[in-house]
Amino acid sequence: MIESAAGVNPQSTAAAALAPCKLQVRDLHFYYNGFHALKGIDMDIPEKKVTAIIGPSGCGKSTLLRIFNRIYAIYPKLEAKGAITLDGENILDPGYSMNRLRSKVGMVFQKPVPFPMTIFENVAYGIRHHEKLSRTDMDIRVEQALRSAALWDEVKDKLKQNALGLSGGQQQRLCIARAIALRPEVLLLDEPTSALDPIATGRIEQLVEELKNEYTIVIVTHNMQQAARCSDLTAFMYLGELIEFDQTEKIFTKPSKKQTEDYITGRFG
Amino acid sequence: MSNALYLRRRVANMVALCMSMLATLIGLTFLAWILWETLHQGIGALNLKLFTKITAYGEDGGLANAMIGSLIINFIGIAIATPIGVMAGTWLAEYANRTKLGESIRFLNDILLSAPSIVLGLFVYTIIVLPSTAITHGSTTFSGLAGGVALALIALPVIVRTTDEMLRLVPSTLREAALSLGVPQWKLTVQILIRAARSGLITGVLLALARISGETAPLLFTAFGNNYTTFNPMDKMSSLPQMIYQYANDPGEAMHSIAWAGAFVITMFVLLLSLASRLVLSRNKVSHD
Repeated sequence: MIESAAGVNPQSTAAAALAPCKLQVRDLHFYYNGFHALKGIDMDIPEKKVTAIIGPSGCGKSTLLRIFNRIYAIYPKLEAKGAITLDGENILDPGYSMNRLRSKVGMVFQKPVPFPMTIFENVAYGIRHHEKLSRTDMDIRVEQALRSAALWDEVKDKLKQNALGLSGGQQQRLCIARAIALRPEVLLLDEPTSALDPIATGRIEQLVEELKNEYTIVIVTHNMQQAARCSDLTAFMYLGELIEFDQTEKIFTKPSKKQTEDYITGRFG
Repeated sequence: MSNALYLRRRVANMVALCMSMLATLIGLTFLAWILWETLHQGIGALNLKLFTKITAYGEDGGLANAMIGSLIINFIGIAIATPIGVMAGTWLAEYANRTKLGESIRFLNDILLSAPSIVLGLFVYTIIVLPSTAITHGSTTFSGLAGGVALALIALPVIVRTTDEMLRLVPSTLREAALSLGVPQWKLTVQILIRAARSGLITGVLLALARISGETAPLLFTAFGNNYTTFNPMDKMSSLPQMIYQYANDPGEAMHSIAWAGAFVITMFVLLLSLASRLVLSRNKVSHD
């Protein structure tokens, strides 16, 4: 499913050859209160792979991620133009149901933000909004989500305790459990480990490796080693533009653009 | 060179520390003095009689009717102000934040917050006491209900303000996290944000209660006062601050003593409410971090 429309940067689609495309970004522009933050992004994000987005602060990588589930739309004066196709439908179409989009595209944020309720309720909360489940079915779903997030063994005896009592790393895995409990197709991770210590970071990275069998994962990270360690594809962004998007190995060993090379070798950024 | 610099900083630090401690001490001195003075002057009347006898017996009486009246009037005030205040504050913080309308209403609320309480008493006199007198041909005039409404108008802006501020303290990441699950705004507000800000909201209500329990002026034109105990909110009703005002103006020494004892009871009540609100806040803070 490789788009060959005129004007599309062949660079951005070449990487997608290894798997069918899940999210197709075409000529995407984004404006913050008039400021042109993303300038014509074209990108094919492949299914069931980990795609990392790297780049210096302010390059627009989080902005791009936040368009994929339209969470930006809760703030006034922000505007996205262009097209992002998910399973053949443009999610930027105002008619595309927010409810549907967000059940298909889950998100985990930089800081762990558990809801002020029990561990069980944190996971069950989102499910309950989208589906009516019996008690036993709900118990099963919550357990599955917590197991997939590699948290079950640590919390199975204290599901009725307040989630705010968990450690930072546990809270972040709870947030991942909460997102995957909805059985999304795409999982967005916005610098998910920047508030965590190295051990908790390691666990999250290991988890990402396991989750990519089932989900299409897009991860924004400041940490280049992290991108190199746990992604299949890496996109390098700079000043609102997608400079290079290719297989991670290639980006970190033989980048084809000078700017990418300068960034990954630490010459700027 | 650097030693001289450090010395100067240490001296400046000591001076600033001493001055702020002195300021704290001055503030606390007056609180302790007030507590001591009310206790000292009212100790003579501070006995069981104060809580069981009504004011109708003069020097042999107590403040039972005033205490019951105060409890009822304060309850009515808080019961009216809490739902309206919490809803209005929620609207300000979650739906009208950073809009022109929201800013204007926040400003108007602050004006209501600093409105002289006697004006609110007169307002309620005009919109409730006078019409009810006219409609019932004088059988219902002043009432505990009217007093409660007047106090509600005083409590309302306090609750609106604290609800608004407490909700705006909830980090926006929590909103994003809930909305990214596809949850609509109203569910987010009711099920998550209110819960996250719960201890702050309770504190706001307790502070509003502390604020109204000492109000005298708005009750003069509304609840009026009553020498007998009544549980009927449509009756004229006595209240502690008003009895203190009345007894303090009385020539009798024994009456003064009862007034002081009443003042001590109110001060302790407010102090305990404030402590309770601190307790609610601190207990929830631990689990937030």
